[in-house]
Amino acid sequence: MNKIRVVARIDVKNEFAIKGIHLEGLRKVGNPNTMARNYYNDGIDEIVFMDAVAAYYDRNSLSELIQEACKGVFIPITVGGGIRTIDDIKNALKSGADKVAINTKAVKDPNFIMQSSKIFGSQCIVSSIEAKLIKNGKWEVYTDNGREPTGKDVIEWAKHVGELGAGEIMLTSIDKEGTKKGFDIDLYKSVAKSVSIPIIASGGMGQGADAVELLENADIDAIATASVLHCKMESVQEIKNTLLQHQIKVRI
Amino acid sequence: MSKELEAHYGLPNQVKFCKKCVISNQRPSSTIEFKNEKGEKKKVINFNEDGVCSACVYHDEKETGIDWEDRDVKLRSLLDQFRSNDGSYDVIVPGSGGKDSAFIAHILKYKYGMNPLTVTWAPHLYTDIGWKNMQEWMHTGGLDNILYTPNGILHQEMTKNAFHNLLHPFQPFIVGQRIIGPAMAKKFGVKLVMYGENQAEYGNSIEENTNPIMNMDFFSSDDALSMKFGGVSMQEYIDTGKYTKDDFAPYIAPDKQDLVDNGIEVHYLGYYLKWDPQECYYYSVDNTGFQANPVRTEGTYSKYSSIDDKVDPFHYLTTLIKFGIGRCTYDAAQEVRNDKITREEASYLVEKYDTEFPDIYFKEFLEYIDTSEDDFWRTVDKHRSPHIWKKVDEVWKLRHTSSNTGTDD
Amino acid sequence: MKIAIIDYGIGNIRSILSAFENQGANVFLTSDKGEILKSDGLVLPGVGAFSHGMKNLESYGLVDVIKEYAALDRPLMGICLGMQLLFEESEEFGKTEGLGLILGKVVKLPTKDNQNENLPHVSWNKLNSNKVPWKNTILADTEEGSDMYFVHSFVAQPRDSYNILSLTEYLNYHFCSSVKKGNIYGCQFHPEKSGPTGLKIINNFIRMCEA
Repeated sequence: MNKIRVVARIDVKNEFAIKGIHLEGLRKVGNPNTMARNYYNDGIDEIVFMDAVAAYYDRNSLSELIQEACKGVFIPITVGGGIRTIDDIKNALKSGADKVAINTKAVKDPNFIMQSSKIFGSQCIVSSIEAKLIKNGKWEVYTDNGREPTGKDVIEWAKHVGELGAGEIMLTSIDKEGTKKGFDIDLYKSVAKSVSIPIIASGGMGQGADAVELLENADIDAIATASVLHCKMESVQEIKNTLLQHQIKVRI
Repeated sequence: MSKELEAHYGLPNQVKFCKKCVISNQRPSSTIEFKNEKGEKKKVINFNEDGVCSACVYHDEKETGIDWEDRDVKLRSLLDQFRSNDGSYDVIVPGSGGKDSAFIAHILKYKYGMNPLTVTWAPHLYTDIGWKNMQEWMHTGGLDNILYTPNGILHQEMTKNAFHNLLHPFQPFIVGQRIIGPAMAKKFGVKLVMYGENQAEYGNSIEENTNPIMNMDFFSSDDALSMKFGGVSMQEYIDTGKYTKDDFAPYIAPDKQDLVDNGIEVHYLGYYLKWDPQECYYYSVDNTGFQANPVRTEGTYSKYSSIDDKVDPFHYLTTLIKFGIGRCTYDAAQEVRNDKITREEASYLVEKYDTEFPDIYFKEFLEYIDTSEDDFWRTVDKHRSPHIWKKVDEVWKLRHTSSNTGTDD
Repeated sequence: MKIAIIDYGIGNIRSILSAFENQGANVFLTSDKGEILKSDGLVLPGVGAFSHGMKNLESYGLVDVIKEYAALDRPLMGICLGMQLLFEESEEFGKTEGLGLILGKVVKLPTKDNQNENLPHVSWNKLNSNKVPWKNTILADTEEGSDMYFVHSFVAQPRDSYNILSLTEYLNYHFCSSVKKGNIYGCQFHPEKSGPTGLKIINNFIRMCEA
């Protein structure tokens, strides 16, 4: 069993880190670069920067942020939000990102995942999936930062992106994200059963114990948290200690 | 020499946009709805010499010119006057369980120790998410509520008249919504009614916002029979033989003197607390089980505002038709003022979403107002003011937009 | 003292540059033969497919240059795909010839049947020593069992076990996570992405280049 990766997710709007709930709201929580460095120094395993408003403004604008972050953060960096073309990926990687997270474009044009994983390698391509619960056991795929329903089933789509060449899935529960009330465990359980690529669970963590509950019940590889860290509810070390206390292996 | 285009409703002939936010000078100020009649001239938002709207001016003042600690002291002293100590209700909070009323009721109870009774003037047609949030308001927020649903037959007819006569389907609703607070206060022997924001936040005259108390004219009347609903007076409805005065019970504004005699006061919490609608969203998610719209709300980019009534999108459609201002403009202007987005971003969003037609509930709306699609468009097109709209190749386009992409820009 | 990072159109160059700069190196990106042969240290980065990597090295005319540099016995470090390219061949997408600086081949990470395997191997994972002591290598002062960041589906299998500098276990299989042959080093993991422990490894390499 791999060590579980603890990932900090930082949603960004222009020069601010923001934190919404259900992928809505633009409350400012700090300077994204400063936050990334702090989490790095505290022992976080990975950083994900998401351009939270790329969908609204039909742009993506994190390259400067990534370039800066690279100077002080020496762990993997993923960037997502508005990745729409091969050039977007090239620029992101050139700026210093290790992986790109793709959602909307991939749903509209699944071939984009195949194309980009062939050019850049699967390890660079993270399929970002936004899931909204429809009823027990069924979730719908959303795009555009949790705004547009697609009619696609999350489990089917997750299987498909694996086949297309995505290296990882970052699976966000729209219902839980920002609520700090725990993960949608059924979601991760169901998807993990159906795919063989690594899954990063994102959305809903309120405390280390939530991660424990998820990891004890679903076969996922990494947990992403935002609110817990940005709102200083727990530190990276506190989260990792909780995991270790429950015999969950993490990088110390 | 340029020909001056006709402007309906006595709106300013030249369309201008605020330099700071994206609202235009066509935005009407709040009206006393039950006096609203066809062809009435509208008072509009004020722009100063620098081309900045009064809502932005007020917002700047909010940031720097108001001592909020002092206002909090005033709030506490106000609440101290009204707080009950025998378990009875001591404040009426009108609302639907949307982010604003959820915030108001919860904070009054759990921070300020009041005993609120929330009262809801029922939406025409509840959306699923609206109903859910209403229930959560009670079950998760821990509050009491009375849901008041007026006679649907009359309400539908009023709404239909309002749509056709005023292109303002929400007019009868607003009448009821404004009245219910004071009316319930009178019924329950409660003296304090608390609303959220004063409309000066959005561009009524600033002087109104130096006053925490709502103008009584909005919710009380001296002569009930002359009240108009959908441009039709109560007397005229009764004259058709279909209705009696009994049917108008929900809409009859309390008598002014009566309210005064009972010591009823209607305040704006927005006078006492620094109001930020987006922060109300966060608060209500954390405290009253509020959930945003699962999908992007039609006509805008947001998910947290005004999501409980299927007729709501048509309210915004009609503001777009009459004033050139759609839902996105309202949302974006508010978020610019509260420093969530920049003016350029707002402009971009308005361009992208403002004229989006609200398809999802269109059929239901047509059924509700008993109107065919053809008649719907006939009425809508009748109300397009020539100074705002221009027909280009059979398609209606705005003459002016905040990003200067109108036909005449 | 200058350390050259090979520019052949792939690899997360900026992170490597940042990491080396952070550790005080005078580092630059180049595909110029003259500059490469003049440098005191050489880094071969790379992510993605072996065949793509070799194709690019060929089109940039760098295959012989790297071999020439290696013959000078100055420090050379391959990172991730860069480590794999040091070997003779890979079986990814059919057989592809590599630089052949270290004997051995590159194969897919062995997976067991009837298991829901997760590939690529994306994880922080431990470095364990093999037969070669870490003293005086780039792993000097690295604690046994330190976690490094891995992301790969293929691994190198050195023919000579004395080239194996560290082993790492994944799904009950112990693969070669770093190699050493003289002054040629390879890291399957990303030292520039492995936090302070990774930066230490880079620092060791820089010291070697200074010597």
